[in-house]
Amino acid sequence: MGITARIYNLAMTAAAPPPLPPKAFLVPNSAELDGKGPQRYTSRKHAFWSGFRHAAGAPAMVLFAGMVGFGAMAKTNNIDMWFTSLSSLLMFALPGQVVLLDMVLSGSSVVAIILAVTLTSTRFVTMTVTLFPQLHPRDRNRKLYASVHLLAMTAWAVSMREFQAIESHHRLHYYLGLGILCWAISFPATILGYLLAGLVPKWIALGLVFINPLFFLLTFTEVKATINRVAIILGGVLGPCFYLLDRDSSLLVSGVVAGTVAYLIDRQFLRRRFKDQSS
Amino acid sequence: MNTALQGWGIWLALFGACIGTYLCRAIGVLLSGKINQDSPIFEWLSAVTYAMVAALTVRMIILPFGLLATVPMYLRIGLCGLCLAIMLSNPHKQLVPALLTGTLLMMTYGLIF
Repeated sequence: MGITARIYNLAMTAAAPPPLPPKAFLVPNSAELDGKGPQRYTSRKHAFWSGFRHAAGAPAMVLFAGMVGFGAMAKTNNIDMWFTSLSSLLMFALPGQVVLLDMVLSGSSVVAIILAVTLTSTRFVTMTVTLFPQLHPRDRNRKLYASVHLLAMTAWAVSMREFQAIESHHRLHYYLGLGILCWAISFPATILGYLLAGLVPKWIALGLVFINPLFFLLTFTEVKATINRVAIILGGVLGPCFYLLDRDSSLLVSGVVAGTVAYLIDRQFLRRRFKDQSS
Repeated sequence: MNTALQGWGIWLALFGACIGTYLCRAIGVLLSGKINQDSPIFEWLSAVTYAMVAALTVRMIILPFGLLATVPMYLRIGLCGLCLAIMLSNPHKQLVPALLTGTLLMMTYGLIF
């Protein structure tokens, strides 16, 4: 079928109610829906190395700085080096690691530590649930249980942005390239920070701790959907408020409250208005 | 505060923390197989996730612990505002220039004070 015929078909079906709702992250008549036409990547290998190269910029810088800062923080508190670096390798979740370190130092009970860390990691549930359904159905198998360990806030933020412009059967390999580099640098970066602690002057350390929140703040400007923008603003306002009330559950509570309110606002006002305009 | 957890306790805590963190990721994979990208649940969960990440980010800026807490709040917020402005005024949405500006300015502050 030629392109003109396809466009004609699309135009014809546009008048009748569409048989399927349009895909959330694809432009309705983009080439990706057909599985033909121009693609961003020629092969899975190409997608993998592209993800790897993308990771080598800002995401690696941010993770590196975060992990170096974490290593230095542990060293100044006389925590075992293997304890510190293994947490980067096996947990690979900086906020959780900071909570772990903080609670070990303040002498909390083992059960309380495990509960608090798990609570701060609940964001991974929703991160995975929002990222992986965008993969090609063929890639959504048991191997994802291994790949998911590479998921962190950095890889998630970049993938959510880039997946929209990548054909679905190349998304997994893009994500793997991105995640592997991020994960691989976290272990040596932690050890480096541990060894350099005390040697690094305060002004460099200040830059290292500031780059992390700044990166996430900047990635928010690239979020397109209105519902998610509303969620970000509400979450940013409510987050510190709930944090002052209860530290450990604040992320989960502010996420659920702000996300639900954003969803309802989107349903009640924004979507209805959009429908009125289009009819 | 010299009551830090000692001996095998900290290794048990690390082990449990690793299991707990991986469990959250695994539950995500399990649930993601059942959720369609077009469903309202997916939209709601996206909103919840973005809100969580935003809450964490703003908390790290407004209520930091450690070194960043020594920087006055107005300066932290002012720098973030400046970087956002650089990012938004940039037609290609290049992340690195805005990120570097903020980090270097923060380092300059540390160097002066």
